[in-house]
Amino acid sequence: MDLFATIQQVIATTLKVSPDKITRETSEKDLVAWDSIAHVNLMMALEQAFDLYLEVEEFLQLTSVPAILQYLRGQGKA
Amino acid sequence: MSKRKLELDKLLGLETRDALRRALQHSAVPTLAQIQPITERAASLEPAMEEFRLGIVRSYTSDLLDPWLDLAGALEGLDVKTYHAPYGLNLEEARAGSNLVTHAPDITLMLLRREDLHPALVRPVVELTAGEQAALSSQLLDRLFAIINAFRTHRVGHLVVTILPQQAGPALGVYDPQSERSETTWWSALKAEIGRRLHVAVEAALFLDLDDVMAQVGRDGFFDPRLWYSALFPFAPAAAREVSRRVVGLGAALKFPKAKVIALDVDNTLWGGIVGEDGFDGIALGHEYPGNAYLAFQRRLLDFQQRGFILVLCSKNNSADVEQVLNTHPHQVLKPEHFAAMRINWDPKTDNLVALAEELNLGLDSFIFVDDSDYECALVRRELPQVEVVQTPARPVEVPYCLDQVSRLELLSLTAEDLRKTEMYAQERVRRELRKNAKESGGGLNSYLASLEMVMTVGIDEPAPLKRLAQMTQKTNQFNLTTRRYDEQQMRRMIDAPNCMVAHFSLKDAFGDSGIVGLALFDLSEPAVAELDTFLMSCRVIGRKAESAFLNALLKLLAAAGVREVLADHLPTPKNGLVTNFLTDHGFSVGADGRFRRNLNATPPLPDSVYPIAIEVATAGTPGIRIGEMV
Repeated sequence: MDLFATIQQVIATTLKVSPDKITRETSEKDLVAWDSIAHVNLMMALEQAFDLYLEVEEFLQLTSVPAILQYLRGQGKA
Repeated sequence: MSKRKLELDKLLGLETRDALRRALQHSAVPTLAQIQPITERAASLEPAMEEFRLGIVRSYTSDLLDPWLDLAGALEGLDVKTYHAPYGLNLEEARAGSNLVTHAPDITLMLLRREDLHPALVRPVVELTAGEQAALSSQLLDRLFAIINAFRTHRVGHLVVTILPQQAGPALGVYDPQSERSETTWWSALKAEIGRRLHVAVEAALFLDLDDVMAQVGRDGFFDPRLWYSALFPFAPAAAREVSRRVVGLGAALKFPKAKVIALDVDNTLWGGIVGEDGFDGIALGHEYPGNAYLAFQRRLLDFQQRGFILVLCSKNNSADVEQVLNTHPHQVLKPEHFAAMRINWDPKTDNLVALAEELNLGLDSFIFVDDSDYECALVRRELPQVEVVQTPARPVEVPYCLDQVSRLELLSLTAEDLRKTEMYAQERVRRELRKNAKESGGGLNSYLASLEMVMTVGIDEPAPLKRLAQMTQKTNQFNLTTRRYDEQQMRRMIDAPNCMVAHFSLKDAFGDSGIVGLALFDLSEPAVAELDTFLMSCRVIGRKAESAFLNALLKLLAAAGVREVLADHLPTPKNGLVTNFLTDHGFSVGADGRFRRNLNATPPLPDSVYPIAIEVATAGTPGIRIGEMV
């Protein structure tokens, strides 16, 4: 599965929304379900899906699909 | 404890909730992605899920517990409906008509922090002298109990109070326990006082000690500082799972039929190996592996006995082989006197469970059956679905813990009667033998009953045994005219109400004291009429005419207070067939409206001497009976 598809699935499962609501441009502002509590769950889910450890500073940055994509590529996950 | 790797595919193939719970107990904490399919699998298993309503009042983030609560619920067969009150310790939620009260929770969970309870606690408690610490504790307790009592005035279910452990170790570090200002010592004393006050002064409330959760998962496994400092959510996954499991477990203990009996297999459960094949010397029981694991399990079973559960044996064996181990094995912990009843024979275990239930006068739905055999477990699950089945783990190291996560073995209250239960059942075994002998020697029932030298003590509107009285309405299914359930708050109101009479009795005889075993609730709102709302008796004193003597004693009191007619109902259930004829056998006749009436002028109470029981009535302080006003 390509990186975007994996992210799409993780976000959809965590936020309990349909995957087609999540595009390569989606950010937290676009989805009501992506609130601050869901964001913490999403960070946990990304850690578990990609075997990462995220710092709190990264929690604050990874608030959109582009930011997550860029971060994961930087971690060599692409 | 280090855990086995979680194998999702294997988990999802398990066919009972017991097996799923056990597999999770010994494997790594599931990821969020794994939780969902496990929850769905558990929810789909039999029996169908029941609703469990949870309210959470909190001074830190609790929403992130939701997936864990849902998982814990599905593993118990509970569909958890959670309401999170707005963040902050908000007493608004304790008002009539609040969202919490409207949610009608079965349990309200209070997630508090130490510093919520006293502003001084933002500073180190070790700054204070022992005297100042005591003063602080006293102020803190006042504040905590003011909060608890504010919630207790409304129907928000059982209150479960928690206080978050400290993220850092004690103020004085390793030295702390040595100091006379020790934080650890202060905190332990405070917790003990919280528990004591909840027990004596607040109905339907429990302190859930999160320090014990932390002891189980470890401080590092309990807190995730990232979640705490970024989202004010303290729990790392291991703690979130365990806190949720314990809270939902209390829900299961509250919602499902009360467990009363642990029915144990012996081979590969109380010891390793099969006594009939491996022989007395060949079974594993002692200080070496694997015998030490079985020894630990036997030791653990004594803990469950102290919680008030009755131990019985249900084994396919030659009884002489088992008795030899029970009586003479040097490492056997559980002796014959620890068991209230035994069935050691070659009959089907289902028949033996039915026979044990009859012997103990308890419903099969109060049984937890523990057996290592796939065949026996499957048979009991299929034939006696009301019995909860726990399969003894195949790995000896898991055996000592196999009942630790059985939620129905958790207590919401513990009474003096509970603690003595096995002893009382053992006395009952002796009485049964005496009765058999009396029958065989032609003496009949009356001479047997007279030989028991029974003394009944009747108490009216006494608040002291409140917990036991409420508990009896919750637990008694068979000898119960109306099966109306009351919690401690409701019972308290009836005791206090001038138009209610709450009567109970305890029974002593030559063999011992049965404790409080009977309850009657009368509504005295109408002049000269007493309406019998509840009449119940514990089955362990059945067959001794105690129910007749109790009713008669109460009718005498009522007649003396001017009551001329007693009105009663029999509400049949699948379990209370025992009382079908009770009212008509005691001078009541059924009217066209289906209700039962006894006119005390036409059918007055009998003298006490007709019963083989000496009766003492403690009538002092009985506001329920208003002699004079009613005539």
